[in-house]
Amino acid sequence: MQVPSKGFARRLGLVGLCFAIGALSGAAPAAAQSLAEAAKKEGKVVVYGSLESGVMEEIEAAFTKKHGIKIDYFRASSNKTLDRVLTESRAGRTISDVVITNRGPMLLLKKEGIFAKYVSPESTNFPDDVKDPDGILSPIYRQVVVGILYNTKLVKPGEVPQSLEDLLKPEWKGKWVMPDPSRHFTTGVWVRNLEQLYGKDWLAFAGKLAAAKPILVESFIPSVQKVISGEARAGITYLKYVHIFGKEGAPLDYVRLPKMLADGHHVGIQAKAPHPNAARLFEDFFISAEGMKILAAEGEFVTAKGLYPPIKDADKVKALDMDELSRSEYKKWSADFRKLFVTR
Amino acid sequence: MTVAVLARLRGVVARLDWRDPLTLTVIAVAVVLAYLGLFPTVMLLVGSFSTADLGQPGDATLANYVAAYTDPETFRLLLDSFVFALGSSFISITFALALAWITVRTNAPFRGIFELTAIVPNIFPPVLIAISWTLLLSPSVGLINALLKSVFDLSEAPFNIYSMPGLVFVEGLILTPLAFLIISAALRGMDPALEESARMLGSSQFRIVRSVTFPLMRPAILAAATLNFVRALESFDTPAIIALPARIEVFTTKIYREAFAAYPPNYNLAATYGVSLLVIALVFVYLYRRFTSRVETFATITGKGFRPHIIDLGRWKFVASASALAILVLMVVLPVTMLFFTSLLPYYQVPTMESLQQLTLKHYGYIFENERVYRAMGNSLLLAVTGASVAMFLAALTAYITVKTKVWGRGMLEGLTFLPWAFPSTALAIGLLWGYVQMPLPVYGTLWILLIAYVTRFLPYGLRAVTSTIVQIHSELEEASRACGGGFWMTFRRILFPLMRPGLIAGWILLATIFMREFSLSLFLYSPSSEPVGPLLYFLWLDGMTGPLGALGMLVSVVSAVLVLAARRYARADE
Repeated sequence: MQVPSKGFARRLGLVGLCFAIGALSGAAPAAAQSLAEAAKKEGKVVVYGSLESGVMEEIEAAFTKKHGIKIDYFRASSNKTLDRVLTESRAGRTISDVVITNRGPMLLLKKEGIFAKYVSPESTNFPDDVKDPDGILSPIYRQVVVGILYNTKLVKPGEVPQSLEDLLKPEWKGKWVMPDPSRHFTTGVWVRNLEQLYGKDWLAFAGKLAAAKPILVESFIPSVQKVISGEARAGITYLKYVHIFGKEGAPLDYVRLPKMLADGHHVGIQAKAPHPNAARLFEDFFISAEGMKILAAEGEFVTAKGLYPPIKDADKVKALDMDELSRSEYKKWSADFRKLFVTR
Repeated sequence: MTVAVLARLRGVVARLDWRDPLTLTVIAVAVVLAYLGLFPTVMLLVGSFSTADLGQPGDATLANYVAAYTDPETFRLLLDSFVFALGSSFISITFALALAWITVRTNAPFRGIFELTAIVPNIFPPVLIAISWTLLLSPSVGLINALLKSVFDLSEAPFNIYSMPGLVFVEGLILTPLAFLIISAALRGMDPALEESARMLGSSQFRIVRSVTFPLMRPAILAAATLNFVRALESFDTPAIIALPARIEVFTTKIYREAFAAYPPNYNLAATYGVSLLVIALVFVYLYRRFTSRVETFATITGKGFRPHIIDLGRWKFVASASALAILVLMVVLPVTMLFFTSLLPYYQVPTMESLQQLTLKHYGYIFENERVYRAMGNSLLLAVTGASVAMFLAALTAYITVKTKVWGRGMLEGLTFLPWAFPSTALAIGLLWGYVQMPLPVYGTLWILLIAYVTRFLPYGLRAVTSTIVQIHSELEEASRACGGGFWMTFRRILFPLMRPGLIAGWILLATIFMREFSLSLFLYSPSSEPVGPLLYFLWLDGMTGPLGALGMLVSVVSAVLVLAARRYARADE
């Protein structure tokens, strides 16, 4: 298992990113100029992806202001994004220029030959271990970190779980929530990747998690919602929600686990993009310091050097990229997880 | 088999009178329905027997069927789904009957307002109503539970929504508006003479209701029950939100888990499961047709003057109002109040006295400043008005052909409309997507594909609504028109259309409100330049933006209410 540790990568990259950007824009101003002009002639860029609509709105506002090019965004779940892109490609009707979603589907699309080679000049701002060695996908620009969130109103400071194991204690039985790993893909991948944390005992540990009778829900959003509403005292969900809902006043904090599993995300440019220059300009902007700052401000753990979300101790979070499961692996494991977690 | 059918068809064609506009209409309707219904169905049937993704060349296989039906779990799930669907359909019919009778036939005070309110739940995406109920009836934090616990000093919550009764109850409430629209339309078109004769013969009011009104309403009740049964069978939102924490699995959640949530999605398997829903749905349609086959029995609109009279309930009218109000509190007031609070609170929570201090209008600000919202609203309005009108026109013609004519193959016409409806909507959407993405016509990526999808899928609703009124129209009216020299179109326009109007309007309202917020088909078929409201709502939910979601939900409901009012005004225009 290749395990790029984010904390490590970050410490490496505490070199000021402004220098990197400055060096870049000085290096190729003419090329950038002509790309922007060509992109403008194409008029717009069509993006398909699973990036949250609210984040995309912020990106679009900044991008359109800077370049005068509109973004048509088709937001779907990662599975639907994958499906839509494949469908259009097979029918010879490629409509989108850019695809943004998580690693599994992106690798699958890459294998299908959907994407064109493109190494954005902005990718120098990322650590090497998140870059695509084939120069097709963008670097992993963000890691969506899965952790334990708890309700700060209901869980008193002395009772805060310190580890996943703490959730197995009798006093927590039935009081925490997680997505059903047999039906929520990322959660299934997460349970399988517990191997990164627990070694060969991971399956036994998954069995203990199941025996603690968590409240099962459809995905990470209802999971955090049940923590906020108090239906559950704690839950397994995305760390970024601490900021996204916390800034509105939701009583949330996260358990400072020594290591947490994360889902990496890429950007890819369609080989048959109707607006190829606008697509490149978009990727350049998206993974530039400006774009990454927007994402970080929205609570995302971006991998660009030196940028962190406004979450306490975010710089100390060690995120391990999860290994993807193939179709047959996921099928096998989701059936096994169903026996463990769901069967009454 | 094909040869035999062809030979028979040839015989039929030879006997056709090509100059009769009725014949031409029948042929046109048949072609349109066959195209709408068969196109995606064939795509899916082929997919269920194929090893490759839909639309790709692959080998024929039975593996999908083996995977789907050798799993012993499938049958237990079917049983659970059956209980769920039967229970919620029963609840919806009971509530709808009570509401319809009180609002249409009695002098209960405020019945006009009740009648309008009863449609409200149809305007909201079911997922929002299910969520509202978890905020009300969750055993740990539910508002109603908390209230009852403190009032009666209970140690445990009296209700647990995460159970089969909870699931049936919520789905029943969600399904009620559909049944209400169909039943109240039929009640409105009923001839009071039969009830009056019973009264003159000395029957009590209760006896009249039981032995005259109720039997006369049978087609409408069966129509609504059939629709709601199948609708519950294939509903996904309520089970996902309520059944999952209860560790109950129904058929749709299984389909979702094995086919749509599989990675990458396995649509062949989804299509395979869809086939069994299709079979169940077709059995129900067949039963429905058998129950209502003696059409004349139900013909209560005759050439004699009719206007269902209003029953004076005396002092009981207040009891009637109170009962209607009680049902509406469950159906509308409680869930909508919760949604309204959601739209005013900064984050998702159970509204409490404490949280009232946090109330904010910022989500409405977000919605009103968002350019995408305006564009989507425009698209959805266009789809709602055009789609509902096209669908009702088609439904009226189809209903006429299947009920009033003896044309060969008329039963098949109705079957055709039900084909695409019986598949889970996501599977249908995939069939449509695959069909149109390969077509050279400018349908894919435009609003047209959404219009086609909406009409294809929801035509059965319109058809049921209008059929239950058309069976009440006695053929003597039509015959009179024809005898006076009125041609088919003249008769249709001048006689049938006005008489069918209650059903047509009911269907139109039903469809328009569904189209305003439809998302399961739209999600698969929309493109960024033709985005309707449904996907927007869905992504707000997906991203946990419940505040803006509630605000947009409220906005959509206001727009839908305006549509409903406009349709009603038109319905009453020349009464």
